[in-house]
Amino acid sequence: MPLFVAGLSHRNAPVELREQLAVDEDKLRELLRDIAGMGILREALILSTCNRVEVYAVADVPGEARTATFRQLCRHRGVEPASVEAVLYTHAEGDAVRHAFRVASSLDSMMIGEPQILGQVKDAFALAQSCETVGPALHTLFTQAFAVAKKVRTETEIARHAVSVSFAAVELAKKIFAGLDGKAVLLVGAGKMSELAARHLIEQGAFPLYVANRTWARAQELARALSGTAVPFDELTTALAAVDIVITSTGAPAPVITRETVDRVLPARRGRPLFFIDIAVPRDVEEAVDMLDGVYRYDIDDLKQVVDANIRERGREAHRAEALVEREVAKFVTRLGDVEVIPTIVSLRERLEAIRAGEVKRTLTRLPDVTPATREAIEALSTAIVNKILHAPITKLRESSRAGSPRSWLELVHELFGLGRNP
Amino acid sequence: MHQTLLTFAIIGYVAATGLALAYLVQREEVLHRLASLATLAAWVLHTIALLALAIDLGRPPLANLPDAVSVAVWVVVLLEMWLERRYGLSVLGAFVLPVALVFSLQSMPTRPLIGPALSGAWLWVHIGLALVGIAAFVLNFAGAVMYLLQEHQLKAKQRPGALYYTLPALATLDRLTYRTLALGFPFLTTGLILGVLWAGTAWGSVFTFDPLAFSSFVAWAVYAATLAGRAAGGWHGRRAAYFAIVGFAALVLTLGAGLFLPGKHGS
Repeated sequence: MPLFVAGLSHRNAPVELREQLAVDEDKLRELLRDIAGMGILREALILSTCNRVEVYAVADVPGEARTATFRQLCRHRGVEPASVEAVLYTHAEGDAVRHAFRVASSLDSMMIGEPQILGQVKDAFALAQSCETVGPALHTLFTQAFAVAKKVRTETEIARHAVSVSFAAVELAKKIFAGLDGKAVLLVGAGKMSELAARHLIEQGAFPLYVANRTWARAQELARALSGTAVPFDELTTALAAVDIVITSTGAPAPVITRETVDRVLPARRGRPLFFIDIAVPRDVEEAVDMLDGVYRYDIDDLKQVVDANIRERGREAHRAEALVEREVAKFVTRLGDVEVIPTIVSLRERLEAIRAGEVKRTLTRLPDVTPATREAIEALSTAIVNKILHAPITKLRESSRAGSPRSWLELVHELFGLGRNP
Repeated sequence: MHQTLLTFAIIGYVAATGLALAYLVQREEVLHRLASLATLAAWVLHTIALLALAIDLGRPPLANLPDAVSVAVWVVVLLEMWLERRYGLSVLGAFVLPVALVFSLQSMPTRPLIGPALSGAWLWVHIGLALVGIAAFVLNFAGAVMYLLQEHQLKAKQRPGALYYTLPALATLDRLTYRTLALGFPFLTTGLILGVLWAGTAWGSVFTFDPLAFSSFVAWAVYAATLAGRAAGGWHGRRAAYFAIVGFAALVLTLGAGLFLPGKHGS
């Protein structure tokens, strides 16, 4: 199966070129129809995201198909073909399978393990299907790629650890409280990142949410937006005694929450841990709060450090994921190759079996008084001869398909055994 | 027969400990699976060894300290396997198995734990209950160590290390130490009360000094204080973990006393 993938990605093409080439959905339909109309490609799928533009296709003459496809793409986008040709990569057969698996599993992503790419590949697949440019080869390939991506996600921890500051805060909260169900959150001050962190916490079951702000109207507004409760800023201390997680992001020049304040509320908390997520710069929570037992304070730098470690952790997991993908590629290529030679093997067997059965029948009718034992011996003898003869060609066919070049062998076998044309 | 089986069981525990520690560092799932397998295999051998010994002796194998400790280790490993599944604590083995291993490696010359004067059904109950209590406290200790390590990771805020990723949440570990304390304490208490009652009749006095009895009362007092602090004073986390470690140290002293010091228990 002459499968190939050609394209460019964040690995080799500058963002200027990628954004010039990126194609939106409507244009993509048009483009798919155009390249299918050229008659060079048997199957085609185009994946276009902000990090990559790739064509997955099956064609009898891959080189020609690739050039023609990208000419067409450049014409659509008004880009000079020469600039694209220079950065284009091409993978064929097994390498194309590997590439598809790695892309879908987010191993080729800019941020390894990011979850969006799988959805994007699925969309591209659905689009190509609706344009009827997906045939059996791409269908098998991508169905398997989705399965591999799922396997990578469940069997490795590639996407487990947070790589954004707001998610890192959630992850830390889970390391302290285990589950976040029913953990009360206090939001002090306003800001995009703190709001985002609060939303993530709520999604994980944290409840209820309190909002404190120097401007009462702003507190009420934010409380409404997050379905929380506004509390007056000067009742901060009271609120501290009740909540489990505090997110601070005020613009105050000096700490809003001091060690002394926290120390005062601790007895009322009866040992329940208190987690400060301090996103403000300058910081809102005094560093000395760290000294208190059961109190955890993470400022923006601490959170970034967790994010860094998590990114390294993803890299580590990526090694395991690559090994997994490699195994899946080997399995897939073997299966795919066998699929291609199996019809020939079947008809070869049928052909020889027909000859054998016919000859045995003729011989037996010519021999009167054959005992069942003799009949059995003749059957066994002829079957053994057929199997011995078949062994070498079948093995050769399987090997050639695994090596990726079964075509000439298929033709040869058809020719030699008179199996009819068109293997 | 039972000695050979026990040796194989200990080899199994050594393998399991090594694998569990390797898993803690490497975090390869396959290591964890192998460690669990080795633990289970060793525990099954251990079970058969103890049964063989009990049949040989015609009574529970609790009369001398090495045997009794062996039974305690058996309970520890059973609890470890159960809690690991119950709480999804795949790293528990790395903290419990080393302790269990050290305990099971003690192969002192067999000195009778109980003098010939002492025997009877409820004596076995006294020893048996105390040992189950001790087994629960081994897990209590492991939970406390894990708690302190994870707490340190979260407090120190250096770049998170392997332990940050492998160890479970503080709340989970705190719950583990509380549950094991609540499990072990009644066993230890009942075991000790039976012992005191026995001492009253057998030694003629409840207040005879015996190193094993004394240090086990110290351990009991520490655990009682922790339990009270938790239940009434709202103790959590670090303080409870420190107490768990102190209590365990007293228990280890108890066993040490039983092994090395002359006292009423041996006479």
